[in-house]
Amino acid sequence: MGLTSLYPTLYSLYMSFFDWNWGTQFNFVGLDNYLELAASERFQTALWNTFVFTFGAVAVELVLGIGLALVVNRLGRGAAVVRTLLLVPLMVSGIIVALIWKIILDPTIGPVNLVLQRMGLPPMGFLGDPAMGMGSIILIDTWWQTAFVFIVFSAGLQALPREPLEAAEVDGAGVLGRLRYVTLPMLKPIILVILLFRTIDCMKVFAIIFGTTGGGPLTTTESVQVLAYRIAFKQYGMSLSMAAMVIFATVVLGLVIAIRRASRQERPAG
Amino acid sequence: MALIAIAITLFPLYWLFLMSTKTPVEAFKNPPDLFYVPDFSKYLEIWGEGDFAAAFFNSVVVVALGVTLAILIAAPAAYAIVRFRVRAGRWLGLWLLLAYALPEFLFVIPMYVLYQQIGLFDTQIGLALIYQVFAVPFAVWLIQSFFSEVPRDLGDAARVDGCSELQSLLRVYLPLAAPGIAATGILVGIVMWNEVTIALSLTFDDSRTVTIAVAGYRGYAAMRWQEMAAASMTAIAPMLIFALVAQRYLVKGLTFGAVK
Repeated sequence: MGLTSLYPTLYSLYMSFFDWNWGTQFNFVGLDNYLELAASERFQTALWNTFVFTFGAVAVELVLGIGLALVVNRLGRGAAVVRTLLLVPLMVSGIIVALIWKIILDPTIGPVNLVLQRMGLPPMGFLGDPAMGMGSIILIDTWWQTAFVFIVFSAGLQALPREPLEAAEVDGAGVLGRLRYVTLPMLKPIILVILLFRTIDCMKVFAIIFGTTGGGPLTTTESVQVLAYRIAFKQYGMSLSMAAMVIFATVVLGLVIAIRRASRQERPAG
Repeated sequence: MALIAIAITLFPLYWLFLMSTKTPVEAFKNPPDLFYVPDFSKYLEIWGEGDFAAAFFNSVVVVALGVTLAILIAAPAAYAIVRFRVRAGRWLGLWLLLAYALPEFLFVIPMYVLYQQIGLFDTQIGLALIYQVFAVPFAVWLIQSFFSEVPRDLGDAARVDGCSELQSLLRVYLPLAAPGIAATGILVGIVMWNEVTIALSLTFDDSRTVTIAVAGYRGYAAMRWQEMAAASMTAIAPMLIFALVAQRYLVKGLTFGAVK
C-alpha cells in the first residue's frame, strides 16, 4: 500500500548522496549535496520565501475566511447561494489562477492598474516589482484558497450546538463576547484542521508562482518547489534537487507533527 | 460584506471571460469600452489548432483512467476496513496525511527517472498511475466513511443468505453508497483535472494535460491573451459543473472527512 509513495521517497534519499546530473556521471559523494545546499544562498532564500509566503497567506486566509463564515452564517436566507458562489475559485486549477491574475495585475492591460490610472495614481508593478512580488503572490493565493477556510469553518459553525450560545446570551455576553468565549474555543479543533491543511498546501506552493513570476523578479518569489523544479529540469542537477526535496520534506513533516501535537493537546479539554 | 466578497471572488473570472471575447485591439483599449461586440471565435479556433483539443482529450482519458483505478482499488479496501472492523483507521489517516504532506517533487523527480526508463514517461496511463499516490488514500478514506453509514445488519443478512463477501460488496454496499462513491469519483477527478506539478514534470508533447496546454499560450514571444483566456474558460467550465453536482460532499472531501 505504502509502496506508491515510499519507493520514490527512499529513491530520492538514496540518490541525494550521489552527484548524478542525468548523464553518465554517477559517484557517491556522501553529504556533499547537503553541504552545498546548506551553503547555498539561493536555497536559503527559497526556504525563507516559502516560510514568508506560508505565514502571510495562511494568516490572511484564516482571518478573512473565518470572518466571512461568521457573516454569511447570520444571513439565513440566501446563505446557501452565497456559499456556492464563494466556492468557485477552489475549482480552478492553480496554473489557470496564475494566468488570470497575470491578466488582472498586468501593468498595461490589467483592470487594477486601469483603475489606479483613472484615480491619477502611478501604475504599480505588482508581479514585476521585486518589492511587491511576494505580496502579489499572497494576494493571488488569498483569492484562490480563502474559500477553503470559509467553507470548512462554515460547516463547523452549522454543526455547533445552540445551547451554549444561548446561555451566554442570557448571561449578557455581546456578539464579540460570545465569539471570543464560546464560538472560537468550541471550534478550535476545526481551526487547527484548517491550519494544518493550509500550512501544508502553502508550503508546497508551485503552480501560482510558476505561472506568474517563475520565481522572479530576481529570486524574490522563488519557493523551494520552484527552485527544485529549476534545478532538476532546467539544470539537470537531479541529485542536488533530490537532496533539496529531502531537506524540505523533513521541514514540512516537522511542521505537520508540530500542528498535530498542538491539536492533540486540545482534545482532553474539548 | 458578503456581496463585496462575491464581487471580488467572481470579478477575475468575469474579466477572464471578457478577455476571451475581446480582440487584441479591444483588449488593449484604455479606457476599455463598456459595450463591444463579443467575439467568440477563439472558443472554436482553439479546438481547430489540435494542440488544445489533444490536451483536453488527454485530460479526459487520464481522469477517467485515474478515477476508475482509484475506485477499483479503494472500494474493496474500504469494504474490508468497514466489514472486518480492521483497526486501520489510525494508520489510514496517517498514510493519507503523509501522501498529502509530501511535497510533489520529492517523488516526482524519482518517478521522472523511473518513467523514462520503463517507457511510461509522457503517457496517459503513466500519469493516471502516479495520481494514485494521492487518489487511493483519499478515496479509501471517503468511501469507508460512506460504507460505515450502511447498516451493518444489511451486510450480515446478505452473508446469511449466502452472499460471498464480493457479492455483498457489489449488491449491498455499492448500490447503497452509490451517491457517495460518485461524489468521491468527482472530487478525485477534479483534483486530477486541475493538477499541475506532476503533469508538468511527467508529460511532454504526447500526453500533455489541459492545464499545461493552457499555460502554453503564454508563448515565447508574446502572450496570446484571447486564446489563453478562451482555453482557460473551457478548462474551468466542466469542473464548475461537477463541483455543483458534488457540492453536498465538498466539505467532507476537502478535509478528508475531518469535518462532516
